[in-house]
Amino acid sequence: MNKKTDVLIIGAGLSGLMAAAKAAESGKKVTVAAKGMGSLSLSSGCIDLWGYDIDDPQQVCPNPLAQIARLGEVNREHPYTKVADVLEESLRCFQGITARYGCDYRDNGGANWLLPTAVGTFRPSFLAPPSMAVKDLDKAKRIVIAGYEELKDFYPEVMAANLARNGNLPESVNIAVVKLRCAWKKLYATTLAHRLEQAEGIKEAVDQIKPHVVSGTVVLFPPVLGERLDIDVAARLSAALGAPVYEVANIPPALPGQRLQQLLLKHLRNMGVDVIIGCTFTGAKTEGNRCLQVTAEGAGKTFTFAAQTYVLATGAFVGGGLDSRIGAVREMIFDLPVCTLEKWASGEFLSMNGHGFNRFGIAVNDRLQPLDEAGQVCLENVRITGANLAGANGPIEKCGNGVALASGYKAGKLAGEVPS
Amino acid sequence: MSQDRHLILDNCIKCNICVANCPVVKVTDQYAGPKQNGPDLERFRLDEPAAVHPSISYCSNCKTCDFVCPSGVNVATMNCKAKGEYVALNGAPLRDQVLGRVEWICKAAQIAPSIVNWAAGVGPFRAMGEAFFGVAADMPFPRFASKTFLQQFQPKKIANPKGKVLYYPGCYVNYYTPEVGLALAKVLAHNGIEMVVDDFNCCGLPTVSNGLMDAAKAYGVSNLEKLNRYIQDGYAVVTTCPSCNLMLRQEYHELFDMDTTLVTENTYDAFEYLVLLHEKGQLDTQLKALPRRYGYHQPCHLRAVGYGVPSQEILQLIPDLQVLPLDAGCCGLSGSYGFKKEKYPISREIGQNIVRAVEDTGVKQAVTECGMCQLQVNHVTGLPVVHPIELLAEAYGL
Ligand SMILES: Cc1cc2nc3c(=O)[nH]c(=O)nc-3n(C[C@H](O)[C@H](O)[C@H](O)COP(=O)(O)OP(=O)(O)OC[C@H]3O[C@@H](n4cnc5c(N)ncnc54)[C@H](O)[C@@H]3O)c2cc1C
Ligand code: SF4
Ligand code: SF4
Repeated sequence: MNKKTDVLIIGAGLSGLMAAAKAAESGKKVTVAAKGMGSLSLSSGCIDLWGYDIDDPQQVCPNPLAQIARLGEVNREHPYTKVADVLEESLRCFQGITARYGCDYRDNGGANWLLPTAVGTFRPSFLAPPSMAVKDLDKAKRIVIAGYEELKDFYPEVMAANLARNGNLPESVNIAVVKLRCAWKKLYATTLAHRLEQAEGIKEAVDQIKPHVVSGTVVLFPPVLGERLDIDVAARLSAALGAPVYEVANIPPALPGQRLQQLLLKHLRNMGVDVIIGCTFTGAKTEGNRCLQVTAEGAGKTFTFAAQTYVLATGAFVGGGLDSRIGAVREMIFDLPVCTLEKWASGEFLSMNGHGFNRFGIAVNDRLQPLDEAGQVCLENVRITGANLAGANGPIEKCGNGVALASGYKAGKLAGEVPS
Repeated sequence: MSQDRHLILDNCIKCNICVANCPVVKVTDQYAGPKQNGPDLERFRLDEPAAVHPSISYCSNCKTCDFVCPSGVNVATMNCKAKGEYVALNGAPLRDQVLGRVEWICKAAQIAPSIVNWAAGVGPFRAMGEAFFGVAADMPFPRFASKTFLQQFQPKKIANPKGKVLYYPGCYVNYYTPEVGLALAKVLAHNGIEMVVDDFNCCGLPTVSNGLMDAAKAYGVSNLEKLNRYIQDGYAVVTTCPSCNLMLRQEYHELFDMDTTLVTENTYDAFEYLVLLHEKGQLDTQLKALPRRYGYHQPCHLRAVGYGVPSQEILQLIPDLQVLPLDAGCCGLSGSYGFKKEKYPISREIGQNIVRAVEDTGVKQAVTECGMCQLQVNHVTGLPVVHPIELLAEAYGL
């Protein structure tokens, strides 16, 4: 089968979904096709823009946008330098979409949020969903950490011990742990989220937490407060307890990331975008410096897609856009040149300098077109977004979803401007 | 083979995306989930085939885990094989042996379909069925047609046909909804395509879902042999049931390592075939307007094929017809799964997504390719449900 569309977005991670949302505004026929779901559902659900100070990496960055504006001088190759012109616009667009579906992602007045994590540390992030955007935790009189006996992967005692040790909170704060019990034998984050969407799940939790709530209490939960967009579990718990309730960041599957993915997919559906999951792209047919069509496989059969613009949003190693062998890295669809570094990995697993491979990716110009070693555009109707852009070190710089969001937005915008 | 299994296993990065998307894990605490039953235990099964978690029977084989996995791990296939191992070692309850052999039930019911339909709707019988055999009393059985599709189909001679199709109706159409097969026959004839049918075995998917692997494999061997003969004679194989389609073109190979090259390449979903015809400019697009609104439910096994929704592309050609995607994920029935007493509540709870999507869109009727999905959508929402080919036939005025 040959499928035709105006804009083909390959990849359903944050950058692909954002590219689709923006391109769809132009009235073009937009198709998103991907092998599987992206790393959005693995992430905390928060949008990290820039975590730490460029000059002093031990310090949380006070004003991410101002720091990113400086990247042009200190790190010309960083993907942010290619999208600086649309960065703020892309954030506003994203906030607009999330607000439309009742999950308005919040900024902290230009500064990073410092959000508590499941291990009791604080992580800087730029945009957070309402259920995570804890303000002034240090002003709370009492913090109640609610964990479930039946839930693996969340240990409230560990979180409490580390929070107490953490310099961010005054000593006067009283931190209490409540080990909840659930009528179910075993809980995954998703199972618990489903239970908390039911009245009995809420009641079960409220009955056990209520006795620990005094005036000035903030209740912290693992990130399991529902999966559906139409039920605000945090608000329900909050109302029943008479105290604000927040989710903290935790390892996957984290529901806030899932909810954001669902929200964006719902938005795309409303915008008339076709989304096909379960199809793997394997190659492309090009002529000169244009892509004519790409080949995909589903259930053993091959079919082709032809489009005006192709957005390559396939992620890096986690997403599957890049593949590595000893000594070689390959981009899987167009066989684009991948920028690598001499040193792939640091000897230390948790090195503060980060691992080289995180910076691997495709070099682009400021129209997000892929470049060869000589700096020439290889394919002019292909745009590169997100984790497969070269030059960022997401885990260290804390910029993964930020780069994905801004570059996806820009690719979608450019695709929308192509004359039909 | 074991080398292959190893490679796929090693692709798993333990990201939990499959767990987060599994519709069964979400609604029950009985199931250990796709990752644990799939790649985690598969590692042990390389050495010890019996390393199966007893909760494996809770997997509904919806394949959601397969298509959300970003690393291409075929979790559901691992689960199917594991279920087979479990049943081979521990046996299957009589109920599963019967429910899995849809073909037997259907053949037996053919003796007196109306009496069977009547009995299947009688409350006290159903209560007994639940108490003694574990068949959920609240899940309505589909109704047998008074005459099967094969009994009703009249091949039509077409002069200079544009193509030759062998239709594989599958048990559901043949025994329950022959009107779907008849609609396809009319649509193909109208477009100058010759259609023939033959007597095939059940595709085997219900047998696989119940862990009866030997029976499924035997069906596969007999079906493949016959299908290959037709393909060699120049026929394209066409299905209207997404589960049969997936089974023929992918599962015989994945599960039983059979050589399905010919069948995979020459088997089409009915609408995929029509899209190809349309691309060649050979599809009649003179369609009368159908000023109606339908909610479209995408069957999991169609989604698993990974080429989108070809029926949408064709239905879009019908003037004034609005088909809104419900996009509610798995309907929850998964063939015989929802008929099992202990699984019915799970199936019904998963189906609530459909109920909400219907409320959201405000549709009054639905359309979907899979017979079992039709049954479930109707059961949870009460809406009438048709197969897209019936809409197309209607728009042609056939
Ligand atoms: C565990 C984890 C936690 C994280 N936490 C955070 C966080 O809290 N905050 C933050 O800001 N960032 C976080 N990040 C980083 C951030 O999630 C990513 O940088 C960003 O989401 C990348 O998005 P993407 O769209 O570029 O790619 P991905 O999300 O990786 O998506 C890639 C898509 O491409 C598809 N694909 C790949 N190859 C093919 C192919 N050949 N054919 C078809 N489709 C294909 C994949 O199936 C997938 O849909 C985290 C990352 C990980 C792994
Ligand atoms: S989604 Fe795939 S890679 Fe992730 S845990 Fe499941 S099987 Fe492993
Ligand atoms: S096939 Fe469906 S029910 Fe079975 S593990 Fe995968 S997602 Fe869950």
